[in-house]
Amino acid sequence: MSTQTNKKSPWLKRILFGGLVLVLAGAGIYWYIATDTFADTKDRKSAFTVEAVDFIREFQQNDSLANLKYREKILTVNGTVSDLESPDTATVNVKLIDTTSGNFAIFAFQDQHVAEAKSLKIGDKVSIKGSCSGGSLDGILEVIKIDFKRSALNKQ
Amino acid sequence: MKKTILFLSFVALTGSLFAQKKTTTSAIVNFDASTAIDALPKAENKTVTAAVDTKTGTVAFEATVKNFAFTNPRIQEHFNGKDWLNSDNFPKFTFKGKIADLSKVNFAKDGSYTVQVTGDLTVKDVTKPVSTEVTIVVSGGTLSTTTAFSIKLADYGITGIPIDAGKVAKEPKITVSAELK
Repeated sequence: MSTQTNKKSPWLKRILFGGLVLVLAGAGIYWYIATDTFADTKDRKSAFTVEAVDFIREFQQNDSLANLKYREKILTVNGTVSDLESPDTATVNVKLIDTTSGNFAIFAFQDQHVAEAKSLKIGDKVSIKGSCSGGSLDGILEVIKIDFKRSALNKQ
Repeated sequence: MKKTILFLSFVALTGSLFAQKKTTTSAIVNFDASTAIDALPKAENKTVTAAVDTKTGTVAFEATVKNFAFTNPRIQEHFNGKDWLNSDNFPKFTFKGKIADLSKVNFAKDGSYTVQVTGDLTVKDVTKPVSTEVTIVVSGGTLSTTTAFSIKLADYGITGIPIDAGKVAKEPKITVSAELK
């Protein structure tokens, strides 16, 4: 009887060990997912580098195609600062406007890059890298608006 | 000549100060569906379009769903996914409403005013009435507005295991702030 118990115990140990490994792996995966954050946009590779006015006009010509091409991608957009809006004292949004149509791209900045955006002035040449959320006709302003989040100043 | 320039400058300045329609493209909308067991489901959209007509009291907001920024990539993916906001098919949240007690606000006089705004919030093509208390601070022709309210996700057809399991609040808190010029 005692001999039989001794024969089973290595299997029991293996099952317990296997279970422990599974629990730890599951906890590790959960921890990884729960604590994962977006990387600094400055360090991410751009899918496209575009000139602001040409980019905005792509949406004006066919916003469905432009959204398929650019939405949810990291883009570098080069242009001239048309306007700066401060929704609160802690942040600033940069607007690049196609002055012939009034259509525009607007960039909200990643927390660590807000300070550099605050140093900008209207008329500055900029290169902004950001996550494109797509663009379409704004129902309130009746112009095309293209949204960006988590942006960073690429260079000035 | 100088007098003409001065006069035109004055007209332009007073025109912008007392323009009937105040707008912004940088209103902030916070979405907080965090719970005691999960702090992750909350996001912020800083590029929301908003307009207030000071004469008629109409209020409008429009937010691009995909521009809500979460800290966690997986949660953001779920938020935009087909089972949740389905932002590929329903790319905007909109609110169209009216200041119910417009006479309480003197837009020509600096000060803080509390009003009731009622209107329709559309999420995923489902429109439900919303009524909320809004604080409007008038300063030099600029309106700074703030409000907070809750919505029931089930009202907009948003259901699922994370909600039932208490990882996502059934009634997320929405806070809105806008500086309209």
